Amino acid sequence: MKHYLLLLTALLFVLKTQAQTPHITGKVTDAGDGLPLPGVTVVVKGTTQGTATDAEGSFELDCPPNSTLIFSYIGYNKEEIPANKPVINLKLASDSKQLTEVVVVGYGTQTKEEFTGSAARVSGDAVKDMPVQSFDQALAGKATGVSIGLPNGVLNNAPVIRIRGINSISLSSYPLIVVDGIPINTGDASGNSTVANNPLGDINPADIESIDVLKDAASTAIYGSRAAAGVILITTKSGKSGKPKVNYEGWTGITRAVRLPDLLDAEQFMMLKNEAVLNSKILSGNINNPSVPSESFFPMYNEDGSLVNTNWYDEVYQTGVSQNHSINFSGGNQTTKYYFSTNYSNQSGILKTNEFTRKAARFNLDHELTNWLSLTGSLNYNNSLNTSPNTGSLEGNAFGLVGAARLATLSAPNVPVFNPDGSYNLSNSNTLGMGNNTVASNFYNVVPMMDLNKYSSENDRIIGSFSARAKLLKKLDYKLTYAVDRLKIENSNFQSAVHGPGFGAGGNSTNSSVLVDNWNATNTLSYQTTLAEKHNISALAGYDIQKFKRSSWGATRSQLSDEFFDEFQGSFGNISPSSNSLNERAFASVFSRLTYDYASKYFVTLNFRRDGNSALGSGKKYGNFGGVSAGWLLSEEEFFRNSPIANVVDNVKLRGSWGRVGNGNLPNAFGSLSLYNSALYGTAATWAFSQGGNPNLGWETSDQTNIGADIALLNNRITLDLTYYHNNVNGLILDVPQSPSKGIPGNSILMNVGAMYNKGFEFGINASVIEKGKFSWSTNFNFTTNRNRVTELFGEGTEIVGTTSASAETSNITRVGYSVGSLFGAKTDGVNPATGQRVFINANGERVQYSHAVPSGGSRWTYFDGSPAPAISVSDYQLLGNALPTWYGGFNNTIKYGQFDVAVNFTYSGGNYIMNGTKGTWRDQRFWNNSTEVLERWTGEGQVTNIPRVVIGDLLSNGSSFPISENVEKADFLRLQTATLGYKVPGRLFGNSGISSLRLYTQVFNAFLITGYTGQDPDISSNGNSNLTPGVDKNSVPQGRTFTFGVNLGF
Amino acid sequence: MITISYTTAGKLRMACLAISLCLSVSACDEKELLNPTPDTSLQDTFLFDSPGRVLGQVNGMYAAMKNGSFYGGRYLMLSDIRGEEFMNRLQNVFTGYDAWNHTINSGSNDALTTWSNAYSTINSANLLIDGLAANPDVVPAATATQYVGEAKLVRAISYFALITLYGKPYVMDNGASPGVPLRLQGEKTPANNDLALSTVAQVYEQILTDLNEAETALPTSYASALLNTTRAHKNTAIALKTRVYLNMGKFEEVALEAQKIVQPTATGSFAAPTGVAHQLQPSIRTIFMNDYTTTESIFSMPMTELNNVSGQSSLGYEYNTNQEYSMNPTGIYGHPTWPATDERKTMFRTSGTTTYLMKYSKFSPFLDYIPVIRYSEVLLNYAEALARKTSPDMALATQLLMAVRKRADATYTFPAEALATQEAITSTILVERRIEFVGEGLRSNDLLRNLLTIPAKGTAPAISPSQPEYIFPIPNAEISANRAL
Repeated sequence: MKHYLLLLTALLFVLKTQAQTPHITGKVTDAGDGLPLPGVTVVVKGTTQGTATDAEGSFELDCPPNSTLIFSYIGYNKEEIPANKPVINLKLASDSKQLTEVVVVGYGTQTKEEFTGSAARVSGDAVKDMPVQSFDQALAGKATGVSIGLPNGVLNNAPVIRIRGINSISLSSYPLIVVDGIPINTGDASGNSTVANNPLGDINPADIESIDVLKDAASTAIYGSRAAAGVILITTKSGKSGKPKVNYEGWTGITRAVRLPDLLDAEQFMMLKNEAVLNSKILSGNINNPSVPSESFFPMYNEDGSLVNTNWYDEVYQTGVSQNHSINFSGGNQTTKYYFSTNYSNQSGILKTNEFTRKAARFNLDHELTNWLSLTGSLNYNNSLNTSPNTGSLEGNAFGLVGAARLATLSAPNVPVFNPDGSYNLSNSNTLGMGNNTVASNFYNVVPMMDLNKYSSENDRIIGSFSARAKLLKKLDYKLTYAVDRLKIENSNFQSAVHGPGFGAGGNSTNSSVLVDNWNATNTLSYQTTLAEKHNISALAGYDIQKFKRSSWGATRSQLSDEFFDEFQGSFGNISPSSNSLNERAFASVFSRLTYDYASKYFVTLNFRRDGNSALGSGKKYGNFGGVSAGWLLSEEEFFRNSPIANVVDNVKLRGSWGRVGNGNLPNAFGSLSLYNSALYGTAATWAFSQGGNPNLGWETSDQTNIGADIALLNNRITLDLTYYHNNVNGLILDVPQSPSKGIPGNSILMNVGAMYNKGFEFGINASVIEKGKFSWSTNFNFTTNRNRVTELFGEGTEIVGTTSASAETSNITRVGYSVGSLFGAKTDGVNPATGQRVFINANGERVQYSHAVPSGGSRWTYFDGSPAPAISVSDYQLLGNALPTWYGGFNNTIKYGQFDVAVNFTYSGGNYIMNGTKGTWRDQRFWNNSTEVLERWTGEGQVTNIPRVVIGDLLSNGSSFPISENVEKADFLRLQTATLGYKVPGRLFGNSGISSLRLYTQVFNAFLITGYTGQDPDISSNGNSNLTPGVDKNSVPQGRTFTFGVNLGF
Repeated sequence: MITISYTTAGKLRMACLAISLCLSVSACDEKELLNPTPDTSLQDTFLFDSPGRVLGQVNGMYAAMKNGSFYGGRYLMLSDIRGEEFMNRLQNVFTGYDAWNHTINSGSNDALTTWSNAYSTINSANLLIDGLAANPDVVPAATATQYVGEAKLVRAISYFALITLYGKPYVMDNGASPGVPLRLQGEKTPANNDLALSTVAQVYEQILTDLNEAETALPTSYASALLNTTRAHKNTAIALKTRVYLNMGKFEEVALEAQKIVQPTATGSFAAPTGVAHQLQPSIRTIFMNDYTTTESIFSMPMTELNNVSGQSSLGYEYNTNQEYSMNPTGIYGHPTWPATDERKTMFRTSGTTTYLMKYSKFSPFLDYIPVIRYSEVLLNYAEALARKTSPDMALATQLLMAVRKRADATYTFPAEALATQEAITSTILVERRIEFVGEGLRSNDLLRNLLTIPAKGTAPAISPSQPEYIFPIPNAEISANRAL
């Protein structure tokens, strides 16, 4: 926009000095709705003379005789009209393709022609009406090369984003997110282990003009060290000169959980579990021992005599009702443009007490002070409140005793939620009351926890930026930008003394306050010139400093004085400090970009950045990164234009790039230092070794090669984008395991060792399939392949074991020659039809079977001949499959007929396997309830089934205590991500109401899933964004399906 | 075309540029920006800057030992639940089900966390010993000697925990079996991952060397009862030696050490004649309920509101609050020689038909000190050694045994046959230890050092000394990183 401002001002000068030439007036309107178009640039062809339309779409212009006027406006087709009459009224037709003509790149923009890297653009319209909390959740299937997975159905949980695969092992594989030029806080800023709080939820999706995803090193290298996982550039909306516009976007919707498994009801539960009790009695040789029970599960009856049959799903899940309202005002004149918006979003999830509320306001202002100085400011204030029960779905929580998803499936159905007197059904040891069952549960009653405990994480955030741009010389611009992203988070947690995790402490409450203060100052100089008409050169140089400071403090209070209190500020008997931490990190960088093209046919771009990163070792702070890319617009060559191909093919651009980027996104701000922490021994102060440092800790680098072509066919009705990419990641920063006997904290030290690559192919096609009168159908199909291989770790035969939920379960392995985080576990081979026992394959390839109950002195593990076998342990585990998708993409269709529009957007992914660990929970033979598939268990000799004979207490045969290959499943899926039906109310109905446009729509999000996966959702990731432990589904909340009804209203 | 003059405008623009550049550059010094100093952690180069920091490291070493996974709770619990006294109620692997059930494998959490925490305690002791040698002038020489003594004692007790859990019993083959890696030098860097296993005998030898040197270096006592209980002094080293020698079956040595701190008193009881005046308290409840720093508590891990062990490694949580383990009715709780008149039987509670241990009776925060060694153990170690050594002293052994029993149950008389022979009194002493120390982490080691089969309980099978499950496996993480194994 700023280019236009400058240009415009220059033009005005021209006008004033040439007042004696012929005079033309006219009005420009939108060919679609007939409304005036303000701000349309009108230029006399071949000159720099011109003007812009005013708020009524009118213009006046003096021009030489016999000249031609060029009318151009972003988002509309350019028109050339001979200036042969005094009044020219013109209807401009909108062209959605035009929007993609500009590519936002680091510290600037490039035209699509001159851009020779690899990027994908998603327009803000694609995300603004989605029933999501943050825009990144809505990107699935929209951009080639970008894989988005929603790891669970908890509101505002960060999606798993992978741009061209996993690009690191220990460091974040989350892309750098830059909003209007400032890299903002992402990831787990809140440190809240119970409540999901994605900082990107603080951006109102309706404020987004465009999302540009930079994928190759040539494009991202200008962000140097932070770009290894790709860069997502968000541009927010700004005002346009002309008549003020007001838009309202609103939707309301409902969400329900989908694909929950069917569970045993009370009668089935008692039958099955008593069978397991009896089997245990028989197998342990106690059939004649009266002191060993034959049954342990007994019915309870309601006061009306009916059987107690509790459906715990009803207690945990709900139909969530949501609403979202955004309104924006924008407008401006030649010198000042404004955009103001405000947003209120209140969303309820599929889990009771899971809510997301956002209140946001944004103000963007552009002002051209003089012909050589322009100013831009933006201010975004946001308040997001996330509340949630403990879902068990966040990283590290899969095995928690408090996870609502797990409790909903495993709680006994033959006991009630409440006692007849209305009190909660509890045992005397702070667990669910087990009624007449004679077994104890170590799990809580989920209902009082949802009723009485409160967990929230609330953000107050200001993102503001100010920039000034000065034209120092004719072709030399200087720009200063200063931006702040100040995020204040308050985590609140209250746990009642009545029941649950707060019981032992007599009720407790933990609050913490987190401040993430991030500022960024950038100075750039840019120069642009054309030599001898054909040599176009532009150069950019800059200096950038960014600093993050994170401060967190808090306390835990316990021993509630009175049940009246349910907030931290109430009265408690005890307090101790918690969540105290303080760290900072900074980047200081110089960067430059040189772009050259010859006759708009041959293009070259060079990028360079020298980055300093405070988190690295003292002598390793700086790294040099850069890239080179080149393009050839083949279709501009004479021989091409003269060949018959040119009749079909409009545009062919070949492009290639190579570059090196770095990754210094260390999770630890002081990872290179050897540190001691102070704490207490009783009452005495201590110093204790807390971190083994590595002063030589340096950059992880990624060498990226990218070769591709952009092709347009049939009058630009079809555009193709083909790219091959190959990223070699070297000097991986790894937590290198140290022998635990050395006693190094965490048994690891950060070191630069190891290498891996990602390579693959991207294919994107945009087509205007049908355009006939009122009917049009346009489609976008994109497809990406990815092959990830680890080529080196920290020495011969080394491997990295990944564990789910801290160290609860060994679930993944990273090995040379395989993809990162491959599934890992015990190999199984069905159920022995002779015995009904689960068959395991041990490290020697021998088949051994397991019986949870054996006579005293007998072995639980036996060979098929009954002789004792060693127990299966980690040393028998095998690599069970690749956990990373090897192909993925989207298929997006927009169909319009008259006033109606239909959008049908699919996403798909596959080639990977998922460990359905949740199945282990559904089939666990402790006192837990099971899914109905357990009814297929082995009951007699010769029966062929995949469910072993049930034996009470058996946590092993079905993969509940460690992962087994029985539960490894293919994750291939096709999802109807969104289906939308819209209706644009005809303009004639609005009369004088001031309404200029009105569209009503209804939408379904996550409409259906076609997959062979028998779990809840193949997107589930119980370890969130973790690189080392992908593909594990363990006790997570499934996704919801959302129906919305919405309105887009314009004034 | 453009009306304003270039020179004027140019100057103006350059001035603006200069101002803004100054603003942005002076706002931060790049070198300072890229070399931030942590505000809440200390870089190791500053560790020996003051005597206070050295003392902080001494306390840090004890704090490592006090970790919830080690002497702060879980190590004691694992040692107890492997034995036959407790029933697992909830089949939860996070609260020791694998250890109770003898299904610990090399990948189990409990195998790794106990190992890691023992070794991080050892490393903190090694780092302190190395650091004091490298920085000799920070504290007076006498103080440095004492600190080294404390470090050696902590190192010894950590190796003892390791070798009894991960090594075959010494008495099985006089320590010829492979033991654990013997790390005697501080580790901070990626070097030295590889170190072979020392034999069980070599590890015992190092433990005794450390304890002997500690005995010489340690002070006879400290200024307060709290420090006497929570820091090592001479008698602590001696008391631990009685435990170590007993494990090796070296009964003469047990007796020699024990008599340094066990002498008859005028009132017919026993007490330590020098150093901290250890003796039994009139009521055992006192030391668990009221006063954690009496002279009976030779060494304990202190708990305060700001520094305690909570959650699934806290003994109070495991045995009492969350009722993870109940008393096995066929274990010591139901033993016929333990009548209800015994005061020690008051430290339980019964709910329905289930009985729970209440030695650690405080609710969260769990402020009960965790005993490492008590004077009554020294008495019973001594008694057992006297009864089992080549020339037994049955009379003194009996007196020592009676001192422990009668303190809790003054009316109790042992049946004559229980004290009649060497074997009888030994077995009576072993039963007395089960009663006296239930929940204090001694039971499975008492089985192992006598090469007894671990009895079956509930669904958990019996484990004989020849079975691999008799001891913990060395964790996988060690096997994969330490190529010398």
